[in-house]
Amino acid sequence: MNLRKILTYVEDIHAEGGRPVGPVARTAVVLAVIENPWAGQGFVTDLLPGIDEVAPQLGELLAPRVVEALGAPVEAYGKAAVVGLDGEVEHGSALIHTLKFGDHFRKAANATTLLPAVEKRAVAGGVFDIPLKHITDATVRSHHQSIEVRVPDGPRADEIVIGLAAAAQGRPQARLAPLATEQ
Amino acid sequence: MAQQQSAGQQLWATPTRGRLRKVVTVVDEVLLELGRPVATPVRRVAAAAVIENPWAGRGFVADLQPEVEDIAPGIGRLLTDRLIETLGGVEHVEAFGKAAVVGLDGEIEHGGALIHTPYFGNVLRELTEGTSIIVFSDDRLAAGEPLTVPVWHKTAAATRSHYQTVQIRVPDAPRPDEIVLVAAAASGPRPNARIGDRRQDPVVRLADLETAR
Repeated sequence: MNLRKILTYVEDIHAEGGRPVGPVARTAVVLAVIENPWAGQGFVTDLLPGIDEVAPQLGELLAPRVVEALGAPVEAYGKAAVVGLDGEVEHGSALIHTLKFGDHFRKAANATTLLPAVEKRAVAGGVFDIPLKHITDATVRSHHQSIEVRVPDGPRADEIVIGLAAAAQGRPQARLAPLATEQ
Repeated sequence: MAQQQSAGQQLWATPTRGRLRKVVTVVDEVLLELGRPVATPVRRVAAAAVIENPWAGRGFVADLQPEVEDIAPGIGRLLTDRLIETLGGVEHVEAFGKAAVVGLDGEIEHGGALIHTPYFGNVLRELTEGTSIIVFSDDRLAAGEPLTVPVWHKTAAATRSHYQTVQIRVPDAPRPDEIVLVAAAASGPRPNARIGDRRQDPVVRLADLETAR
């Protein structure tokens, strides 16, 4: 894996709707900018060798970093793959939609649910939103949220940005009734 | 963390102070540059606080000083603590910078007031154990526009290897009546810096350059 840079983004919300948020609501994101393992190879039918090589390394790299950046127990989480302009969205999906990637985060966060994801192709500096859901019960409505990030100089056309997001709580000032009340 | 949270809560508890909505930090670590490992890995950090513009809705305010004294030191400490914590200690802060982004309904002078006085700059300088004047950028922007923040060496501003920038962006700030205040730092020089320094430069004069042609 050719890792060019790592970008860590932490957002603390102190107030929402004009009211203080207590405790301060924290969300953390760690993004790795790597060379697309399939760049310059045309259409590659079998992505598995690349997945086996790169996906576990990304999971090992990003999971402990995002947990450390959050500095609190993870309550909601999500993941992202943003493919540079010359790649396929399938390349990004290949690296994040595998247990070889996600289980590192699940283990580090004591989580059990599927990781919600964004996967897209974008120019360097393109904005993307990472969706997050509760780590053990994806129906917990208070924890449905997203965080907006970008890497100023990535992904280049032959790169992929892979990311993990973690939140220590649900939305600030969450006050929607539980899903069960509508059933 | 406890210190940062209490600082935020303290600002909220005192209505005359700038109300703090968000604090965002970004850390940019470069490991490869043009495929080559970076000789001295560097981490560049920017910390940004989103506050209400204390002069919003008041028209032209002639004397900005009372709000500056009230707001700038607390935000300066909050952001500088975040830089030092992120880099793992004051000894890892080698370069520093600062910035202000005023929301669309404010004056650039409002941002300048909050960062270009000792009430912000001296806090940043003392806590990072620096002596240099602090390099800066400022702008008036819509929410979500990125701002490039310069940094230079904290005790020897002319150190060429440390001239660099870090970009920060808060997706939903500043609102028209808000200001984003930024403190930034780097743990070392630019990736693979190799353009010499003032002491190594030949004497370059315009007249000689024209003659050489």
